[in-house]
Amino acid sequence: MAGAGSVKAALPVTEALEAIVSCCVGPEGRQVLCTKPTGEVLLSRNGGRLLEALHLEHPIARMIVDCVSSHLKKTGDGAKTFIIYLCRLLRGLHAIAEREKDSLMCENIQTYGRHWKNCCQWKFISQALLTFQTQVLDGIMDQYLSRHFLSIFSSAKERTLCRSSLMLLLEAYFCGRVGRNNHKFISQLMCDYFFKCMTCKSGIDVFELVDDCFVELNVGVTGFPVSDSRIIAGLVLQKDFSMYCPADGDIRMVIVTETIQPLFSTSGSEFILNSEAQFQTSQFWIIEKTKAIMKHLRSQNVKLLLSSVRQPDLVIYYAGVNGISVVECLSSEEISLIQRIIGLSPFVPPHAFSQCEISNTAPVKFCKPLILRSRRYVHLGLISTCTFIPHCIVLCGPVQGLIEQHEDALHGAFKMLRQLFKDLDLNYVTQTNDQNDTASLFICKNSGESSQVPDAGNGSLQKPYPDTVAENKDELEKTQTYLKAYSNLAISDVELETYTPYSTPKLTPADTFRTDEMLRCLSLEENRLIGDYEALLKSSSTAYSIRGNSRIEICYENLQVTNITGKGGLLPVSCKLQNMGASQSYLSSSVPAGCVLPVGGNFEILLHYYLLNYAKKCHQSEETMVSMIIANALLGIPKVLYKSKTGKDSFPHMYIRAVHALQTNQPIVSSQTGLESVTGKCQLLTSVLQCLTKILTIDLVIPVKRHPQKVHSQDSEDEL
Amino acid sequence: MEGAEPQRRALRLDVISGEPSGGHGNMALNGAEVDDFSWEPPTEAETKVLQARRERQDRISRLMGDYLLRGYRMLGETCADCGTILLQDKQRKIYCVACQELDSDVDKDNPALNAQAALSQAREHQLASASEVPLGSRPAPQPPVPRPEHCEGAAAGLKAAQGPPPPAVPPNADVMACTQTALLQKLTWASAELGASTSLETSIQLCGLIRACAEALRSLQQLQH
Repeated sequence: MAGAGSVKAALPVTEALEAIVSCCVGPEGRQVLCTKPTGEVLLSRNGGRLLEALHLEHPIARMIVDCVSSHLKKTGDGAKTFIIYLCRLLRGLHAIAEREKDSLMCENIQTYGRHWKNCCQWKFISQALLTFQTQVLDGIMDQYLSRHFLSIFSSAKERTLCRSSLMLLLEAYFCGRVGRNNHKFISQLMCDYFFKCMTCKSGIDVFELVDDCFVELNVGVTGFPVSDSRIIAGLVLQKDFSMYCPADGDIRMVIVTETIQPLFSTSGSEFILNSEAQFQTSQFWIIEKTKAIMKHLRSQNVKLLLSSVRQPDLVIYYAGVNGISVVECLSSEEISLIQRIIGLSPFVPPHAFSQCEISNTAPVKFCKPLILRSRRYVHLGLISTCTFIPHCIVLCGPVQGLIEQHEDALHGAFKMLRQLFKDLDLNYVTQTNDQNDTASLFICKNSGESSQVPDAGNGSLQKPYPDTVAENKDELEKTQTYLKAYSNLAISDVELETYTPYSTPKLTPADTFRTDEMLRCLSLEENRLIGDYEALLKSSSTAYSIRGNSRIEICYENLQVTNITGKGGLLPVSCKLQNMGASQSYLSSSVPAGCVLPVGGNFEILLHYYLLNYAKKCHQSEETMVSMIIANALLGIPKVLYKSKTGKDSFPHMYIRAVHALQTNQPIVSSQTGLESVTGKCQLLTSVLQCLTKILTIDLVIPVKRHPQKVHSQDSEDEL
Repeated sequence: MEGAEPQRRALRLDVISGEPSGGHGNMALNGAEVDDFSWEPPTEAETKVLQARRERQDRISRLMGDYLLRGYRMLGETCADCGTILLQDKQRKIYCVACQELDSDVDKDNPALNAQAALSQAREHQLASASEVPLGSRPAPQPPVPRPEHCEGAAAGLKAAQGPPPPAVPPNADVMACTQTALLQKLTWASAELGASTSLETSIQLCGLIRACAEALRSLQQLQH
């Protein structure tokens, strides 16, 4: 194995993985049947699951699957696309290497020297890739692609989300992941859940909560058809009551994390018994103490006790006597979810016999047992103190495998939405020659969220500095991202008392998002946006000073804060901080939340076209080479998606039509109606390029006989 | 050549030291002496070779993907002969996709390596000679049952002119007996092997061999009568 270049070693691995995932990509993709090494059979279209089910001992394969898993943990989308991009990038690099190799005269070069030379060559290429990704790629997206973006929000100023656009997005997401007979139903289910859980003031934190605790927010029930799945208000706990006393009226609950019954001794102390009488007295004391605590709870109207540990029988008995329901052995995740929703901290039983007020109780709407196919659960109606209205999804399916598939898909969709509703930072470097470009500074950021864009490493500005943030905190709060969720369809079978309906129904745009319609609306708004921008420039008086050569301190005075999102996003820029360097300027911009594009490879073709244009204009040959490689690799996705189409819909025709439309500045007509998130695509491309640079920096692979482990952060097999 | 050498070495040092060679126009892989003008597009033969290589690579990837989905393990080693990644099945047997599946496509037709191929070749010759028999009988207006030796002789003559003699159409009884003995010997050997064999594939092949021998014997006997 020693002596093989990294690309040569990685290419067959990636090609084998690509052969597996390419048949399940896209809406036309098929399910893949995989036999795990344990003998179980997995039938799935979920790329991440498939890759993890394969038994791979090859170190580069494991590294690639690790990269894919960590990308999925963050974004919930794009495993198969990742592999396809990676494969095509490696092929492109391999082709270049072969070409150069043929023209090398290698008689006098020894194998070792040649190998070392290869390694340096790959390191150089990986450096070029990294530079391109951090300095140029974001710029192309910002300057060229941004004019094609659509917004999923139906109004420019406030972020109003309407059901039909969310359905378009989710249908496109699910049709690549869930079987064809179920995907409409699952999209509908998710849409319903989304609108039920959101209030009008909900923000990104709802997505975070759902994403983090999704396992606790859904229940799987086998043996029923998928169409029986439904949404239940409140929280369903995966345990049964140890003691159930029906209660109504004012119910309060208490969470405990230790046993209520006092023990004979605590750790660190010694308990000495000298006679049986003393033993009897101690036991009696314990019994009395427990009785008193439970009576005290009862007097505070506590009728529900949630415990994360097992409570002794005595406690259960006295709870029954006092009419308190008890649920034991809850997992720490469930406890933390409840704490997050209602903000309750655990109750510690008092040591002394004091009759103090118990402050750690919370009101509960109802608590009753729930029976789902002969299994009993606890159904809790919580009164939420945060912006999340607790609801649970009951997922039904004929077999456990299908339920898991749907659960994964739903969880991934929430991750995807969480990324979609955040702004994505873009940082890049442009070569400017005029010194009078001072005007385009100013405007504060849309939201304080930061994404995972890598550091450019040479002093470019990414986030506002702490001192400026502190000064303008109140202004930032005004622009805190929030969503107004609203539904324009009647919901028939759900309790509406917890959901705040909207009084003014808004008109939603047509269901098919054709970009020419968008552009027409855009041209009207464009003038307004530009007008705002100019007004900003004239009215604001900002002062800035440059300290050193990479820091800028900006004071905002008389700054009018605007939420420029806009349809089509001609000026999606919310913060442009510009460094007055001599010939290079570091620009920082962002893709606003809610930017989407029509599905079907549109993003890839657009980026491909603009990268080719850039390559033609570019002077440095490394940048040309890198942009050509990336541009060619991007075409892999539309090719796979249009593989099965023929005639006028086939890939070559589609490509020519799109390029022609771009060249003549016409809107691109997309034959498909779904939408996909731009943030997800940008993040995917970044992840792929980073994985590729990691692969390229491998010089030597030394096989070591070891069992494959799931977590391998320190792999002794890669040597840099 | 000599003059270019030291220059290339000097430039190579540049690359190793890691200095960005932004001044050079090219990739600076091997210095400035390889510029775009010296690269020519591949000729037709080279394109065909490249195409064949790519197709082979595609087939290998597809096969490897199939095996991975069946539960095979992808090892970290490559095959010594062809360089493809090795797979390991659940019985811990190492398997190289290219050597054992792809390249044997060619060997399948080689009679020296495969008994099946040998039998099919023999059968082809037999068919060819059977079609010669009516040809041979036409020029001689014979009684309805032409004497075997006559047409067979003609057929044998024709055959000798064409190529190797057909082993299934012996001109006289000696050769017939010889062939019969050989076939019976093969049958015995095959049945012994079948009894001793533990692998499914080998058993199937042996059964095929036995069937072919039996058919050959039957046609021999038909010829004799």
